[in-house]
Amino acid sequence: MWTKDDIQKAVSDNKILIFGKGTKDQPMCGFTHRAIAVATQLGKPFEVINIFDDESIRPALVSFSDWPTTPQFFVGGEFIGGSDTALEMFESGELQQKVDQVFAS
Amino acid sequence: MLSTEDVKRLIESGIPDATARVEDLTGTSDHFAVTVASPAFQGKTRIEQHKMVHRALGDHLTTTIHAVQIKTVVPD
Repeated sequence: MWTKDDIQKAVSDNKILIFGKGTKDQPMCGFTHRAIAVATQLGKPFEVINIFDDESIRPALVSFSDWPTTPQFFVGGEFIGGSDTALEMFESGELQQKVDQVFAS
Repeated sequence: MLSTEDVKRLIESGIPDATARVEDLTGTSDHFAVTVASPAFQGKTRIEQHKMVHRALGDHLTTTIHAVQIKTVVPD
């Protein structure tokens, strides 16, 4: 049973974390696939939590971030949105900068 | 089932002075791409801007709409 505290712990424990549909090797949704493609290009280790692993993950996640859809992307404990916002931030260089800062500290 | 016109109307009535361009990505009325311009986005973070679009779509976002790709723009 996942609670908001478990989401917080996962977010704090992983410098780059994606909650999505499916796994790193087998994303089950185009948007999750895109979020993973962005994370891969950042050149740092990242984790993917499959929301289908447990049916309590999704409601806990949605109330934690106040964001109704997945994937959800977190960097250094900060919520950076879904695949659209992650991709936009990646294209502007903002995301790489944030990731480099998080891994330097 | 929502048409692109329905999605456009929901967004434009939910966000002040918004203009929305809506595309049906799959032809199945459940995967949309929306580009929304509104002066109300001024000074807000990208996350907050997307949340405004989520709110305008309301429950549709987690029911009839399977996926929506969002781009927000502050008009010049």
